[in-house]
Amino acid sequence: MGKRKAIRRVALAAAVALGASACLSSNSGSSGGSGSGSKSGDGNVEVVFGFGGSQSAGFRAAFTDWEKTSGIKIKFTEASQSFDTLIRTRVAANNVPDIALFPQPGILKDFVAQGKMTDLSTQLDVNKLQSDLIPGVLDAGKVGDKFYGVPVSYNVKSLVFYPKKAWQAAGYKIPQTQAELTALTNQIKSQGKTPWCLGIAAGSATGWPATDWLEDYMLRTAGPQKYDDWVSHKIPFNDPTVKTAAQAFENLVLSNGNVLGGRKGAVSTNFATAGNPMFNSTPSCWMLKQGNFITQKGFFPDKIVANLDSEVGVFYFPGESASDRPVLGGGDLAAVFNGKDDDTKKVMAFMTGPDFPGWNENAGFLSPRKDWDLNKYQTQVTKQIAVIGKNASVFRFDGSDQMPGAVGSGSFWKGMTAWISGQQSLDQALQSIEQSWPS
Amino acid sequence: MIKVLNTLIAVVAGVGGALVVYWLLNFIAERLPGKWEDRVKPYLYLLPALAAIGIFLIYPVVQTVIYSFANQTSTQWVGFKNYTDLFQQKDFQITLVNTLLWILVVPVMVVILGLGVATLADRLRSRGERTAKTLIFLPMAVSGVALAAIWGFVYEVRPAGEPQVGILNGVVTALGHDPVAWLQESTFKLNTFMLMVVLIWAQVGFSMVLLSAAIKGVPDDTLEAARIDGANEAQVFFRVVVPQIWSTVITVFVTTVINVMKVFDVVYVMTGGNFNTNVIAVRFFNELITNGNAGRAAAIVVVLVIAVIPLMIYQVRHFRAEEAAR
Repeated sequence: MGKRKAIRRVALAAAVALGASACLSSNSGSSGGSGSGSKSGDGNVEVVFGFGGSQSAGFRAAFTDWEKTSGIKIKFTEASQSFDTLIRTRVAANNVPDIALFPQPGILKDFVAQGKMTDLSTQLDVNKLQSDLIPGVLDAGKVGDKFYGVPVSYNVKSLVFYPKKAWQAAGYKIPQTQAELTALTNQIKSQGKTPWCLGIAAGSATGWPATDWLEDYMLRTAGPQKYDDWVSHKIPFNDPTVKTAAQAFENLVLSNGNVLGGRKGAVSTNFATAGNPMFNSTPSCWMLKQGNFITQKGFFPDKIVANLDSEVGVFYFPGESASDRPVLGGGDLAAVFNGKDDDTKKVMAFMTGPDFPGWNENAGFLSPRKDWDLNKYQTQVTKQIAVIGKNASVFRFDGSDQMPGAVGSGSFWKGMTAWISGQQSLDQALQSIEQSWPS
Repeated sequence: MIKVLNTLIAVVAGVGGALVVYWLLNFIAERLPGKWEDRVKPYLYLLPALAAIGIFLIYPVVQTVIYSFANQTSTQWVGFKNYTDLFQQKDFQITLVNTLLWILVVPVMVVILGLGVATLADRLRSRGERTAKTLIFLPMAVSGVALAAIWGFVYEVRPAGEPQVGILNGVVTALGHDPVAWLQESTFKLNTFMLMVVLIWAQVGFSMVLLSAAIKGVPDDTLEAARIDGANEAQVFFRVVVPQIWSTVITVFVTTVINVMKVFDVVYVMTGGNFNTNVIAVRFFNELITNGNAGRAAAIVVVLVIAVIPLMIYQVRHFRAEEAAR
């Protein structure tokens, strides 16, 4: 028995010793410097990105010729299902890539706050970019007065898709204002049809399509200034203006008979296929508000995608008046971890420059550059969307993507889901999101 | 080809490396004078295993406890703030209640159903018994995510008027009712119970196999003696069979409880913790990956560890008592 006690003591002592040796790491994470990324000037640059499928293929192909002329070898790391997980794990392990394309500025800003990112003015001619890019898109990667992320692609979310043939047969007209949109909704409903398609289910990201709706209404009912205040938390998340915006969404879409399947149906319908009932022989719903990615292969039925221009119509999700044209969008922000590598600078310059051939064959992505030739887009629908983006009175980056991760890809999604599904009232949902905002 | 080669090298190097380590340890022990060789040798042989446990189990646990008192990037102490924050959140309270419900319901159901199936299968002829057991054991071989995806189809809901894919709503609409969004029905925790069904379905096979083996180990003469004394079948089962297999029942129960405390995939895939169905492991994942809050994530794990410890102690004691009785 005495022996056993002795062993226990030894074990305890070992545990204590281990405990004592384990203390907090004194923030030794090298801030984008030594030990991170590939070595300087070795001709290798690692790029991590979060898109997959044809976008990924197009993006890789864009570098093929350039790699030969520049002598720089790109290592592509695709994390299409788990960008957040991958990048957070690698940053925590201090095993960062050279460049990451962040789909959500929120996470980028988390890393900026931790001192992991490089000020892009040391890498690129930021002033020139500011005049080269569509106004407003560059602001998404701005922290304080420094730029940490520059969009290499952008997308438009203030869009409504409709079944072109059935729509023309029914004689509906494109609404130019919110009032006209409401009138159209009521007209469709009065004919015994369901006006809106909506699906917010997206696995662990369930709820995000609803955040786009709320953001688009914030831009319209509260205006861009309030929108910015809301996104940067200068006003609380549950500010009365937010409630007004949410109610506008509720009145148009969520009220009885306006959406296919009702509120619970919307919550359990996957966003990717939510628009497909529009293409039934008689449409089960008539309008789908969604970002331009939805026109890619794999979302609408294949035979619709194959004849996109004749089957699918798109219009701008209107503002309060015909001249008020705010556009909500997103994009992939290229950001640099290792700022001391000249190869990385070259890759950044190429990706953001006029010669980058990345996006012409992909309906899912638009070029953020003003000098991009619209005729390079392969469908009328994409061209139309690009024009909507260009004609924006103001462009704002997706708000939930800019908020801290805990809100933007956490409580905001969950709150909208709980509200639409009926677990929480609107006030409760907005309040719980407000409480989750990291101090 | 390269993969095969790599595997071969790994196996040879791994086994060879282990041999070399033990040979070295043995060599050291043999250098020691007389009695010391025998005294020290066992501990030297245990050393690699202890080191592995120390590095991969004890050290991370200690470090996690330490991080749970630090901020989200583990750079500053915050005292008990992570814990107080957590327990004040309504969301986390619901999560705890759900986890508790899982712990209360699932292991009991798994034991009862496993026992029932094992007893009934025991009455079948050997062929029927084998078939029945194989079928019931099959779900054990399915990974958690696949399991959740399969049951996702069972609970699938489509808007009224569209063809229903899910079998439950197929039945409901065939009877003339509107389709029900099962996983969103949080009244009386219906959706949480529907998620539990998935795990129970997967775990009953395991429970059945162990309990069936135990039932077969019950000596026939005890059953005969009871029957001769006039006991009916229910009495035979509850008073003769069950007491004799009780230790297996406990083992199954405790193992299932520990599995249930860690339940993640079913909830993560089917509801993502929405609709008031969140459990502690999903919450931990969200806190660490979505929110990037290492401190709070660590605090959640510590809560989980503290909750598991009494069970572990109970199981170890139970196991020791068993050993002693043998």
